[in-house]
Amino acid sequence: MLTSRALLLLCAAAVYPLSASDEYAPLGSYTAAERRHWAFQKRRNPEVPVFSDAAGKAWVKTPIDAFLLEKLRKEGLEPAPPATRRILIRRVYFDLIGIPPTPAEVDSFVSDKRPGAWERVVDRLLASPHYGERWGQRWLDVVRYAETDGFEYDTHRNGAWRYRDYVIRSFNEDKPYNRFVKEQLAGDELRPGSQEFEIAAGFQRLGPLRKNAGNQEVASSRNEVLTEMTNAVGSVLLGVTLGCARCHDHKFDPIRQADYYRIQAYFAATHEREVSLASEAEQAEWKKKSGAFEEQLKKLRQSMKGLEGAAKEEIERRIKDMEARAPEPLPAIFSVSNDPARVTPVHLLSRGDHLRPGARVGMRPLGVLLEEGAPEYTAVPENPRTRLAEWITSPENPLTARVMVNRIWLGHFGRGIAAMPNDFGRMGGMPSHRELLDWLANRFVESGWRVKPLHRTILLSSAYRQSSHSPIGKAARGKDPDNKLLWKYSRRRLEAEEIRDAMLAVAGRLNLKQGGPGVMPPVDQELIDLLYKPSQWAVAPDIEEHHRRSIYLIAKRNLRLPFMEVFDAPDLQISCPRRESSTHPPQALELLNGQTANEMAEAFAARLRKEAGPSRVRQVELAYRLAVGRSPSKQESQLAVSFLRGAPLREFTLAVLNLNEFLYVN
Amino acid sequence: MPEHFRFTRNRREFLCDAFCGFGTLAFASMLAREDARAAVRNPLAPKPPHTPDTAKAKSVIFLFMAGGPSHLETFDPKPLLNKLDGQKRPAAFGEAKYQFISKNAVLMGTKRTFQKHGASGIDVSDLLPHIAECVDDLAVIRSCHGDMVVHSAAQYQLMTGRVIPGFPSMGSWVIYGLGTEAESLPAYVVLPDPKGALEAGQPMYGNGFLPAIYQPSMFRPGRRPVLNLDLPAGVALEDRKKTLSLLRRLNEAIMQPGDEEFEARINAYDLAFKMQTEAPAIFDLSTESQETLELYGIGRQTTDDYGRRCLLARRLVERGVRFVCVVSGGGPGNLQWDAHQDIEENHLRMAAQSDQPCGALIKDLKRRGLLDSTLVMWGGEFGRSPEAEGGQGRDHHNLGFSMWLAGGGIKGGQVVGATDEIGLHAVEKPYHFRDVHTTILHQLGLNQDALSYMHLGRKERLTEVHGHVIQEIV
Repeated sequence: MLTSRALLLLCAAAVYPLSASDEYAPLGSYTAAERRHWAFQKRRNPEVPVFSDAAGKAWVKTPIDAFLLEKLRKEGLEPAPPATRRILIRRVYFDLIGIPPTPAEVDSFVSDKRPGAWERVVDRLLASPHYGERWGQRWLDVVRYAETDGFEYDTHRNGAWRYRDYVIRSFNEDKPYNRFVKEQLAGDELRPGSQEFEIAAGFQRLGPLRKNAGNQEVASSRNEVLTEMTNAVGSVLLGVTLGCARCHDHKFDPIRQADYYRIQAYFAATHEREVSLASEAEQAEWKKKSGAFEEQLKKLRQSMKGLEGAAKEEIERRIKDMEARAPEPLPAIFSVSNDPARVTPVHLLSRGDHLRPGARVGMRPLGVLLEEGAPEYTAVPENPRTRLAEWITSPENPLTARVMVNRIWLGHFGRGIAAMPNDFGRMGGMPSHRELLDWLANRFVESGWRVKPLHRTILLSSAYRQSSHSPIGKAARGKDPDNKLLWKYSRRRLEAEEIRDAMLAVAGRLNLKQGGPGVMPPVDQELIDLLYKPSQWAVAPDIEEHHRRSIYLIAKRNLRLPFMEVFDAPDLQISCPRRESSTHPPQALELLNGQTANEMAEAFAARLRKEAGPSRVRQVELAYRLAVGRSPSKQESQLAVSFLRGAPLREFTLAVLNLNEFLYVN
Repeated sequence: MPEHFRFTRNRREFLCDAFCGFGTLAFASMLAREDARAAVRNPLAPKPPHTPDTAKAKSVIFLFMAGGPSHLETFDPKPLLNKLDGQKRPAAFGEAKYQFISKNAVLMGTKRTFQKHGASGIDVSDLLPHIAECVDDLAVIRSCHGDMVVHSAAQYQLMTGRVIPGFPSMGSWVIYGLGTEAESLPAYVVLPDPKGALEAGQPMYGNGFLPAIYQPSMFRPGRRPVLNLDLPAGVALEDRKKTLSLLRRLNEAIMQPGDEEFEARINAYDLAFKMQTEAPAIFDLSTESQETLELYGIGRQTTDDYGRRCLLARRLVERGVRFVCVVSGGGPGNLQWDAHQDIEENHLRMAAQSDQPCGALIKDLKRRGLLDSTLVMWGGEFGRSPEAEGGQGRDHHNLGFSMWLAGGGIKGGQVVGATDEIGLHAVEKPYHFRDVHTTILHQLGLNQDALSYMHLGRKERLTEVHGHVIQEIV
């Protein structure tokens, strides 16, 4: 008879066929040179440069300007003149809430002669409920948020949308960033039973998930799940390419393979958990209903055996119909929890292969940021992720605040102070303004990790309010072609969501309803047929729902909306810290021939007729004011009016929705 | 170092990106100024290869046998397997992991018969008589292997070099490296099987983190293969021309001289219009001779669909399209080459649909002088198990299976590598997907290291682990 110890060993051998060692890996050491990398150093307390000359004094409105001006002057450059109010208002609306200002909002700002007009606009927009929809999307990009599993089945995740709403809410409430991070890393540990915290902890499950039929590779799937959780800590929160150390020591940064698995060890007990929001009676009822449904479906499938041709097709059709009417899942939260009975022993894995485990490791943050020889925790504490969260959100952590401040800066200027927002390691290059980054990060932490004051500081600067045209453009481009030093504001193309939302807004069709499950709008049947399970695509019956803001449209990994795809929306598979901005013919085809564009052109035309009356001049005037926030020039007006003599209004509105000026922010 | 590049922001950036950071300055100075300008206006303009010496192929056609065709029933005869039919696998052959079948499964011989074909005398089974006729042009690789035994992950690895989604496909990498010679057609086209989708779904064909300009154009079945190529109902082409002209004039009314980014946008509209008016002709197969249509099996129910798509692939590469993927199989597993229940029933049916069109494509390309510049690849995400699944089927099998390459400078009429005597493991000159990828790039004059892109702090390329060119066949 086997002793229990022998049994245990056998079990372990079954999971780890190769030489898993019970020995712990050495703690390792880090050289002084490795520790000297700028991003691993404590934040400094830089002195704000002072300017005594008139031009300098006039330009410097905030310390940001002082840091920028110092570098500009060193290069013999000057900032651009201020942008006009008309340009500014459109810029800040897209920037903060992602939709264009109405003509009345433009006028009221342009004509506001009282001091503090700009501050009032900024404060109003920061308080808008749409602010969270714009900045929440940026966070969702970084955390690779989607509402489906991806891979073969691309199963829809019940309740995953609650995380999206949580993010929007958190930005709107100006939740301190340190709390935001803690809730996502360890919400279930910190406040079990709190819906908000459990939703937040769904962060751990945002990555794609591979499920397959047949022989389940339990250990390999578990390894994939842990990999997703671990990599996110690096790319999302710390801004280091931790994932590069999964297979071997990092090639460029002082991150050892053991560091990778020591971070992974914090997740060893973490498992997925659905928290039902239904009562027990409802759950019992649902079980009955779905049981009966499955039974019926099974019978139908069995009845198909041996059938051919039309008879078979008929049953197939009935199955399809039935699948489309499957009982709605009960409301639930997509979350995680620790299971002390299922703690995965964490080993170094040779080449990241779970079948080639080496020495064991315990929990420890990144070694290069700790004292030499700092111990690891080998026993699993009750709240492992809380410990990790506390280290990450410690005011002393050199990375966390810098990384978030840099993301916010990137959102406003189109480029980070550190150019690679997910990589503050050696390959990320030096930040263009290291002192400024530290000054901002210090302020951020001092003001309680609040994001809105940070926006405000940036938006009130002269740097943000510059024109995108500089009189010294030619010379400046020669010295600083990428505008790293901010000698002007960088014009940018609107992002996919902004383009769609702006078209809906201008056409008067935007449905501003907030929150709720992701909406499936109509898409070409051919695209649905390309899904492994076409019945997954259930178009929202209410047309008004199709006109919701883009952030509320479903984020489905295996069917990205063509409109979003063509304008460089992220692929929903891996973290996207910065959007691309490409230019190519399929974009033109989408905006000229696509359904959304043509529907909105039609609606836009109807709006013009209604609000401007039959006068072509007035229609053209209103179209420009709605779409680009200004009146048309005489030349533009003449071109449009003469076009309208021989063409329908909807062709003119379509042209307006295709204008460079409509698609860009100056 | 830019993390992502954006096309057309300025010319300096363009020149940097256009050659993927490989010998940037040397190439840049070689380019005539006007060519560079044209390229800024059309970022998919043709780009010179990294290694002109090896650039034999201009285009690639991938005949994707989705679901995993059996090597044991097609290109890899195993007399011993037939002898051991019904027995357990001898331990000497080693282990294999399968998705469905249990450890107790027994080996299953094949009912297909093999014959030597062509001057080269390569064995091809009676399942593929038409491909067999072209065997002297094929380099059959019998020792392919991949890392994953389930469809989705294996398909990602076959297409993108990674077992997870989110990475650019070979088609996207190729047009990123070379641009396209077909201005008014998409550069990279996928012709999916109208019967339905595959397990890995759309992300396997996608551009991943590369800019959207490198995305595939998924041609759909039916009247409108390309998304948004048709004018909306009720709009005449002449009217739309006027709208475009208005758009151009309104844009130019406020444009600063020398604004390259906006020039590129205007140019994109011109190209879009050109695509709209010129591309539909490509779908009109009525200009082909009756003989050609019959060659591909067009008009015969079994072969009509795949035949049409193979012929379309030829028409696309003829006009300079860079990468075409023609998918055989889609929808539920048994409508792919995924023969779990009955290998005979499944493979006879799948081969009947695709064999003649595949053979016709090779013959047609060859007689038109296009085979030299078109690399054709045939294969799936894995092969099938020597063991039987449920009596008559075969399970997935990633440890040793066959693919073939032809044209584009590939030396045909040869077999490379071998599996063991029951077709379980690739034992002689094993070639991984990454080696196949590297070979494809090599034939296009692209270098796997130079064809790279900075993403999230890593210099990414098609091959995750460094691949090797299959020297025997190039």
